[in-house]
Amino acid sequence: MSAPAKPVPLTTVESTETSDSGAQTLTLSVGPQHSGSGHMRLIVEVDGDIIVNVAPDPGYVHRGIEKIIELRNIIKSIPVIERPSIIDASNLNHAWVRSIEEIQGVEVPRRGQYLRTLLNEMNRIMSHLYWLSIYGVFLGHTTMFMWPLGDRELFIDLAEKLTGARITYSYLVPGGVRRDLPPGFAEEAVKRTEYFEKRLKEYDRIFFNNPLFTSRAKGIGVLSKEKAIELGCTGPTLRGSGVDADLRKDEPYAAYPELDFEVSTRPDGDSFSRAMVHMDEMRESCKIIRQIVKKIPAGPIRRKAPIVLPRGVAYGRVESARGECSFYLIGEGGDKPYRARYITGSYRNMAAIPAVLLGNRLADMPTAWWSIDYWPVEADR
Amino acid sequence: MSLSHEREDDLIRKLKENFPSDIKETNIIRRGRLEVTATPEKIKDVAVFLRDTLGFDHPNGVSAVDYNRENRFEIVYHISSMRIKEMRDLVLDLKESVPRNAPRVGSLVSVWSGVENYERESFEMFGITFDGHPRLEKLFLTDNWDGPPPLRKDIRFPTD
Repeated sequence: MSAPAKPVPLTTVESTETSDSGAQTLTLSVGPQHSGSGHMRLIVEVDGDIIVNVAPDPGYVHRGIEKIIELRNIIKSIPVIERPSIIDASNLNHAWVRSIEEIQGVEVPRRGQYLRTLLNEMNRIMSHLYWLSIYGVFLGHTTMFMWPLGDRELFIDLAEKLTGARITYSYLVPGGVRRDLPPGFAEEAVKRTEYFEKRLKEYDRIFFNNPLFTSRAKGIGVLSKEKAIELGCTGPTLRGSGVDADLRKDEPYAAYPELDFEVSTRPDGDSFSRAMVHMDEMRESCKIIRQIVKKIPAGPIRRKAPIVLPRGVAYGRVESARGECSFYLIGEGGDKPYRARYITGSYRNMAAIPAVLLGNRLADMPTAWWSIDYWPVEADR
Repeated sequence: MSLSHEREDDLIRKLKENFPSDIKETNIIRRGRLEVTATPEKIKDVAVFLRDTLGFDHPNGVSAVDYNRENRFEIVYHISSMRIKEMRDLVLDLKESVPRNAPRVGSLVSVWSGVENYERESFEMFGITFDGHPRLEKLFLTDNWDGPPPLRKDIRFPTD
């Protein structure tokens, strides 16, 4: 069970009480000010410096997006849907257009599918780099804060060439994508991914093989395979616990069935495993990007799709950077959905926060917590 | 991808055999997506059967839908299987309906502990009470929110 045995009083900012064993415990409020990135609070009860109780308190960046979508045309909702995770915008956008296309019965041309996959993988790298730089902040490693944010520009520039925007693209629309590849994109993409792979080796040297990191991450925040499945965890959090689940392989969509890549898993379920899954995925994404620019077929990028949502129901999902992002979409024939349930990777992995923190020392909390890659805005929606 | 529905038909057959009177409706949306509607009284037994016998060990989420014109809420548990690798592309929607004026159902946290947060969200956003939930409190809404459950269909906004 992920629930704390004894709920922490939510109004308490700091208090001492006596635990069942007679020891004095202290209740601390971590957040809601940025403790790294995003506003959320963790209410943590410590006995000495051992965490004995954790209650996530999200909602500080809740926007009511599910209600907003119900009141808008399905096309106008695209920029709204990207907002919860602007660092991973195109993957969330993909889940939305996939659900719509499923109800409409629209087939996307193959070139459009490849372009979607291309931006999705670039986004995965950008998102993982952002995660890594915040991890550097959490661990007091300034180099690992600066390098990933600098290298992220490689892909932000590429995305700008492709879509016209740096972060929030609204690039995927029902039926295909908005723009075709610009001239010279393939050479530029190959050059940048090859350079980036060299940089990843330097990351390994300075951070991932560094005892300063490994001694703080190995064996910390262990999430067992059984627990990760039972809690419904997804993405790198699930794969870091040894489950080789990846929707790009399990339920192949877009151009993924035609591409060659590996699903990275690590058996240990600790913070180090989850971090290494992120690293492996960036390498695989570079491979995928190079394959796409080499193999991309000619043809149209978009097929005409209606702007109404016919009567029907769909559960469309994609593998976003933080795991499965899904829409449970119900159409009733108008231009707005009757209901659009929006479940993101961070929301699902929220259940893992108490599981990875309980029993650890307070000083290990940043390592364990941020290895989940929990993005508060994406969880709150 | 094959278009046959053998796997889905097989799952539905097994469910109907074991719960002849408690599975009210079944529907295959497409390959890999099926809906099963159970009675609120027996949904927990169906859930345990799905988890232990059919391998659905992984909760993907819970959705509440407000059908105010039909005067009911629908609660949908989206579940999938990690244990059986061949079934990972399959999402089963386990549904139950409750009257809108008495929205009270049993919680399934004891079956899939991962649904805890989703049930809490359905509680605050739709006002549905989940009996047996270990911590049925507000999740995203502020503690001092005393308005109606905001995701219900009859809640209008000035721009609406």
